[in-house]
Amino acid sequence: MNSKINNYLKSHTNASPLAVFRIGFGLMMLYSILRFWYKGWIQTLYLEPQFHFKYYGFEWVRDLGDYTYLLFIICIISSVFITIGFKYRLSIIFFFLSFTYIELIDKTTYLNHYYFISTLSFLMIFLPANAYFSLDNVFRKKSYKQIPTWTIDCIKLLLSIVYFYSGLAKINSDWLLNAMPLKLWLPSKYDIPLIGETFMQQDWVHHFMSWGGMFYDLSIPFLLLYKKTRVVGFILVVFFHLFTGVLFPIGMFPYIMIIGSLIFFDSSVHHKIIDIIKKIINPIRKNIELSNKTIKENLIIKNKKFVLSIVSLFFIIQLFLPFRYLLYPSELFWSEEGYRFSWRVMLVEKIGYTTFKIKYKSAQGVETFKVIGNEDFLTDFQEKQMSFQPDFILEYAHYLGDYYTEKGYLNVAVYADSYVSLNGRRHQQFVNPKVDLYKEKESFKYKTWIIPINDEIKGF
Amino acid sequence: MIKKIFSFTSILIFLIFSCSSDNDDSSSEVWVQKSEMLTNWADNFIIPSHSTLLDNLVYLEGAGNSFTNLPNQQNLDSLRTVFINAYMSWQYVEMFDIGPAEESYYKSKMNIYPTTVSRIEINIQNENTDFNNSNNYSAQGFPALDYLLYGIETSDELIISKYNTDSKYLSYLSKVINQMLQNTYPIIEEWGPYRNTFVNSVENTATSSVNKMTNDFIYYYEKGFRANKFGIPAGVFSGSTLPEKVEGYYNKNISKQLALEAFQAIKTFYIGNGGVSLSQYIDDVSSDGYADLSTDILDQFDIAESLINGLDNNFYNQIITDNNKVLETYDAIQQGTILLKTDMLSVLQIATDYVDADGD
Repeated sequence: MNSKINNYLKSHTNASPLAVFRIGFGLMMLYSILRFWYKGWIQTLYLEPQFHFKYYGFEWVRDLGDYTYLLFIICIISSVFITIGFKYRLSIIFFFLSFTYIELIDKTTYLNHYYFISTLSFLMIFLPANAYFSLDNVFRKKSYKQIPTWTIDCIKLLLSIVYFYSGLAKINSDWLLNAMPLKLWLPSKYDIPLIGETFMQQDWVHHFMSWGGMFYDLSIPFLLLYKKTRVVGFILVVFFHLFTGVLFPIGMFPYIMIIGSLIFFDSSVHHKIIDIIKKIINPIRKNIELSNKTIKENLIIKNKKFVLSIVSLFFIIQLFLPFRYLLYPSELFWSEEGYRFSWRVMLVEKIGYTTFKIKYKSAQGVETFKVIGNEDFLTDFQEKQMSFQPDFILEYAHYLGDYYTEKGYLNVAVYADSYVSLNGRRHQQFVNPKVDLYKEKESFKYKTWIIPINDEIKGF
Repeated sequence: MIKKIFSFTSILIFLIFSCSSDNDDSSSEVWVQKSEMLTNWADNFIIPSHSTLLDNLVYLEGAGNSFTNLPNQQNLDSLRTVFINAYMSWQYVEMFDIGPAEESYYKSKMNIYPTTVSRIEINIQNENTDFNNSNNYSAQGFPALDYLLYGIETSDELIISKYNTDSKYLSYLSKVINQMLQNTYPIIEEWGPYRNTFVNSVENTATSSVNKMTNDFIYYYEKGFRANKFGIPAGVFSGSTLPEKVEGYYNKNISKQLALEAFQAIKTFYIGNGGVSLSQYIDDVSSDGYADLSTDILDQFDIAESLINGLDNNFYNQIITDNNKVLETYDAIQQGTILLKTDMLSVLQIATDYVDADGD
């Protein structure tokens, strides 16, 4: 067994898939960030809010005012450098840090695919993605034909985890038995040409797409891994992602996954892609390829033990983190304790309506209540996200408590009046209205002030 | 084996299609239904409400002219009567803060209360008022008239004598009335061409008519109705009561009447008055858990309405004598907000008109 692992870790494979992946990744990131900027979201999501919702443990991360744009510029420059493979290691580190920092500014904007970008770019720090067809080759006058097999396989593994876990998460009674939330979402897509008025309205289509989505997510990794089914798998990937891209406002995610899945193909495919790229950039290339570089056979990873232990640790976390919800007694979709960072995509339709009441002692010593207008403190987007996520509710309650205490209010207590509707169920009270949230502390512990949902959702 | 698979698949396909034809509840007519709803809203609610209001404002102008020519008790009484009629018909208009009305800040120019008395007095003395200046929004419209007709002095005799002695007051009174007409004419004119734009915008986007109007309706229920008429004066948002913030404060007798009329407007809009509106739309798209939603909302409206009926005609008095009754009423109205903002939005899948970001 050990020797098998050792042999695997020593084995090498053609470097071109990782080079193509690097170029694809760089270009997609460049485009994503420019698009984000162009849409004005830096302003509306990061600069306009007077208050940001923080990830537990990352309260120290703040927006940098107008310098926040600088973070995006770092992202853009590093994406370009990653694409051309110039100072690759430094560039991917800068990209990972700046991108992740941006994500940590405000968890209102949390998306699984942003988390995917963060984890992937972290992993890529340790991969020799500049070994082949990169500007670094030109400057270092060295290029490698082969890289360790595991460096490509670990990207395949990460992609497989994303697909497989999001498939597992779909094995639940709401998704499979009630076709929720697709049953709510799809009929509202009546304005899509051809299928909108017809298919999207049919009950069997909602069920078919729920089951199909589950089988798709679970089987894609295997279809892509086996050579015989790879082409079919990739066609499915393209179809599925483009289709969901038409149906839902999911931005760049479909394209990132389509490009990313190319890594499963053999090096022959990637050589063809590289040939195409060469043709496109030929005019510029002539000037730089003059230098006499040596082409080496196998790339050896420096500090191999260190790198391998980091990568192994990374995957152990990836494999177990999505199951942390088992440690909470509450219904996952309702309380969302252990929900994020687990590839749970499109699983819930949740609408909340949450207002806050503060209690304080008036100047005359009388106990007084007043209801807070959320619009005085939050953007519409923040209010929407806050209204159904307990950690947001708690953090905002503390913000309000601090705000009014600083204004000189005495004995401030904060109560939430919160109602949530989940996956087609009628609304239910979400937070115990008698609990002073200002006294509750954020932690990884179960939040006892969430009123349990009076229904059971079975499954993963 | 192949035969087996074939027969199994055909049975499956047969089952799927036979089931689906049972469930086919007119859902393929979403477009038609939505456009029927929008037509109903435009032709039977928005446009007629505005013209009724305009008629009343024209009467108001007439009565205003009579009073300006001869400020006596009789003319004051008739001016007050048409004022109340016009204010009542306004209750059917305020929620339609959409299209031309939204662009010209119509709602703000017509009904921000409490009115800013100091500003009115300054305008009266200056004799020159730019009513399109946002600082003057709260010095015009119905609340300003409420002050001018009931509040500038402590008794009718003194009010009449003030108008007789100081022509600046008369002039401001007619300017305010005239400005209300000037605010309203363009809205009605623009609804002519805008009507077709409104009715044809049936797709499901943040800016389409169904979504905007539904969001506006909820916004009006929550802010214009629940907060402005009840919550704010009852001190829900301030910790202490603010009874002088009731609607029709200077009249001292119409706050309940106005609130009930506004609730009537909310209910008829929700039900649709014989045409398609939100309640039927909820019924048509809802499944399983939401089966009773449309009537639950209506029941909640009725509960709230009966509590409003139990309040003093003058909310000011009610708040001063027994604010708990107002708070109870507020809570009942709030229950309606919860139904609209969670269950109704969930079942109708109205794209919210404000959030612009990717999802996943």
